[in-house]
Amino acid sequence: MSTPASDTSGDHLIPVQHLRPGDHAFVSYGDDEVRWEVVTAFVRLGLARGEKVLVLPCPGVPGEEVLARIDFPSHSTALARERGQLVLSSMREVIAPDAEFTAARQMARLRAETERATAEGYTGLRAFIDMGWVAALGADVGTMAHRETHADALFAGRPYTEICAYDRRRFDRETVAAMERAHPRALLERLGSLRAVRDAEDALRFIGEADAANRAAFTRSLEIALARTAPSRRLTVDLTRLHFLSVGCATALLAGVSGAVGHELVEVRCDRGQARMLRRLGAGAVPRLAATEVVRPW
Amino acid sequence: MVNPDPIGAAGAAGAPAEESERRLLQRRFTARLLPQLRLLVEECAAREGLHEPRRGEFVLAVDEIAGNAVEHAGGSGRLVLRRVGDELECRISDAGPGFSEAVIPELLPGLDGATKGRGLWLARLVADRFAVAAGPGAVGAAGSGTEGAAGTAGAPAAPGTVVTVAVRLR
Repeated sequence: MSTPASDTSGDHLIPVQHLRPGDHAFVSYGDDEVRWEVVTAFVRLGLARGEKVLVLPCPGVPGEEVLARIDFPSHSTALARERGQLVLSSMREVIAPDAEFTAARQMARLRAETERATAEGYTGLRAFIDMGWVAALGADVGTMAHRETHADALFAGRPYTEICAYDRRRFDRETVAAMERAHPRALLERLGSLRAVRDAEDALRFIGEADAANRAAFTRSLEIALARTAPSRRLTVDLTRLHFLSVGCATALLAGVSGAVGHELVEVRCDRGQARMLRRLGAGAVPRLAATEVVRPW
Repeated sequence: MVNPDPIGAAGAAGAPAEESERRLLQRRFTARLLPQLRLLVEECAAREGLHEPRRGEFVLAVDEIAGNAVEHAGGSGRLVLRRVGDELECRISDAGPGFSEAVIPELLPGLDGATKGRGLWLARLVADRFAVAAGPGAVGAAGSGTEGAAGTAGAPAAPGTVVTVAVRLR
């Protein structure tokens, strides 16, 4: 049986692979290598899903480098560029012929580009916008913040997805934190990373990729959560924000719950694929474990 | 490297058998590159029309096999992903001590003992086609093929293994 997933405003972190049409997401980076991981995944998965992809890189980064980074290590994006599915642009081009940035102008153009993309036969439009344009166009942070918090018309019910990327070396800490709060979604900075958080309902929520490299961290977080909830004898583990769950981590979960003899119940919230995997790995024989299939609200 | 054109299109145009095969991805990997490898396999699978939840199961199977190569076969391997007719086929080869399909348990190993072998067990379960074969280095290598997934450290020769996992697209 499926039940709606809860989602609190303070916990909006997801892996980039979970982005869906209508999502408006924040990401930050502080490293010239790491910065390419999210954009590469965003571009490649968008192209594979039949969406048109617009990339507005940081002004000053040569277009050749952007394309080479996105294309590595396989050249699947080359044909997309040739047929116009992948477009490299800039905020200056987006707001042209205006020279000064206004949110109204930018959103009108992005809205028109979304309609154009669907008219061209694509399933939607996704845009990666490096916020380095703010300084390049002389815009102020207040204008930018207003845009980020008043852009619902661009997203709600429409096939448009956007990532706004902030270089932590260019923006001060307070601005980056405010911008993260201003976005409905925030992304993990790196591929292959795993975060464990305690959500508003006191559940242990895993976010990202629970692969072999993260198995020790996954197991440790589970052990701590079981110890923390020993007095109440109940724990909820939320797997729905995992994009990848390895057999090793799934087995660690089943073994951990199996050994938690003091608990009355461990509820595992999971998606349909995860539920099937846990069943195959023997979840039905683990006492006190209840797997609940959850439909993600995004 | 991705070759968007059918294999052999330039040199053997008109051969039906070759037209039904396309190489989608070829990549060497280490543990550090596994997240990127998963992304590339997912991308190719989505482009070929493999839908969820089968796409996720295919990526999981590939990761488990690649992870086994990293852990037990010298820390690296090579992946070739192809479209073969109506199937998506992934071959993962390594230069490790070698193992046979016999080391994969028939039944799911229990939680109370060693949990080794579950990854390959599930990879085989979700696959429409699965095979384990000796690698090219097996020729002339003594004692190859039955050492188990953990292999034998210090073997004089590294026969290697090729694991093939395939899923139907329709």
